[in-house]
Amino acid sequence: MTKEPRIISYRRRCRNSAGTGLSHYILLTPETALK
Amino acid sequence: MNTAREHSSSTLYANTGYGPGLAVLDFGDPNRVAVVEPDLAWWALVERHALGKALAGELLGDLRARADSFREEMEHLRFGLKPSAVYFNPTDRCNFNCSYCYLPEELRRNGKTMTPEEVCSALERLKSWFCGIMPAGARPQLIFHGSEPLMAKEAVFAGMERFRDDFIFGIQSNGMLLDDEAIAFLKDHGVGIGVSLDAPTADVANLTRRNWSGTGGFERVSEVIEKLASYPAFNVITTVTRGNVHTLPAMVDFYHERGIATVMFNPVRCTQQGGRDLKPSDRVLAERFCRALDRAHELYVETGRKLVVANFANVLAGIIGPTGRRLMCDISPCGGGRCFFAVSAQGDVFPCSEFIGFQEFKGGNLFRDDLSGILESAPFRAVTGRKVEKIVPCAGCAIRHFCGAPCPAEVKAVSGTLNAPSPYCGFYEEQVRYAFRVIAAQREDAYLWDGWRDETEETFNCMVSKQPPA
Repeated sequence: MTKEPRIISYRRRCRNSAGTGLSHYILLTPETALK
Repeated sequence: MNTAREHSSSTLYANTGYGPGLAVLDFGDPNRVAVVEPDLAWWALVERHALGKALAGELLGDLRARADSFREEMEHLRFGLKPSAVYFNPTDRCNFNCSYCYLPEELRRNGKTMTPEEVCSALERLKSWFCGIMPAGARPQLIFHGSEPLMAKEAVFAGMERFRDDFIFGIQSNGMLLDDEAIAFLKDHGVGIGVSLDAPTADVANLTRRNWSGTGGFERVSEVIEKLASYPAFNVITTVTRGNVHTLPAMVDFYHERGIATVMFNPVRCTQQGGRDLKPSDRVLAERFCRALDRAHELYVETGRKLVVANFANVLAGIIGPTGRRLMCDISPCGGGRCFFAVSAQGDVFPCSEFIGFQEFKGGNLFRDDLSGILESAPFRAVTGRKVEKIVPCAGCAIRHFCGAPCPAEVKAVSGTLNAPSPYCGFYEEQVRYAFRVIAAQREDAYLWDGWRDETEETFNCMVSKQPPA
């Protein structure tokens, strides 16, 4: 049985410090998004 | 005298004195609420009966220890990034006359089309400029966009051929000119391909997307989708209007059956009157959109195969980690003019393609002006300086850095000023609430693109388990 945590809080960051996503609402694919 | 830092380090309570300002957000979970520090985009999901303890010490120590690094992270994300993508319109013209297009009709009917020499000259200038600002080995992304870029196929393909080692190319097309030869060329060159389809049936899809004679493209685009479904750099955009919003859950089935991996359900931009006339209500849009997300999850559980609804995935990713988002619309300032910019068929440069219909947002011309100067021009600074902190009610909104009050172009068209909230404010609220429910259920993997964990690393974790019964 999975134990439910009382508090859930976490945060992640992009490994590439030069930036995150680039573009607006098109072409979201791993092959075309510069990460 | 005690310094603010000394006071802060001994903080016992939220919301008083030097304690962090925490907002409490109901996200539709019967057992939990979200506690949010809006400026840091920090959050915790807390059992309702434990809320008092959470606001009086239990969470504050961990938050205090990391607050400076979270603040720096937000500052870099919002103000420290450099451009790495271009939206490039090689022609003003389009073979379609979609009712909601963000470009003026006169341009699409009679506008300019670049020659192959003009496209190559423009790409040469862009290549040279990006070489000066990007890290060694990194390539900028260049998306041929429209109008319909394949109306300038010869020029587009010449550019892709000549600069294939210099840019990561993409193309956003209505699909009508994507014949087998064009598809083979684009695949061979590793080009990202996006096409548009607005409904799972011709009668609804062809209401908004049709040519100048009124003939719709449903059958043709459906064929193209079948051909491209297995191509990894392929996605489909559905523009959501009051005419098709009811079909969103069925649209999920339609795409999933055809093996599509990534779609976007983008609410119609209110940049032009045609879009404003077709805007769905926030309430109906949110209800149908969330039902579509539910359906995508059901299909994932049944089949093990995901359909990522990318615009929602981006909201979820931005909550999990602000720098983990891929798209830069739902953060303020948005990516327009700072992470990317747009070039029109005349070579005019705008902060984003959404602004191409607004001459007052032209920052200069690619062929005549220095790009660095264009990025510092007054029209660009107006967009890159648009912050939620200047907008009512966004300045006091708990989720202001999960939403970003997009999009400035449509906000300007609707409200007459950049400093106004999103016309889809209520829709963003519901997306954030849905995202918190996904996190509470620990279902992130079902909604995010494959590899999202590998692209990111954990920088904070405060999972507090239930006490065992006494």
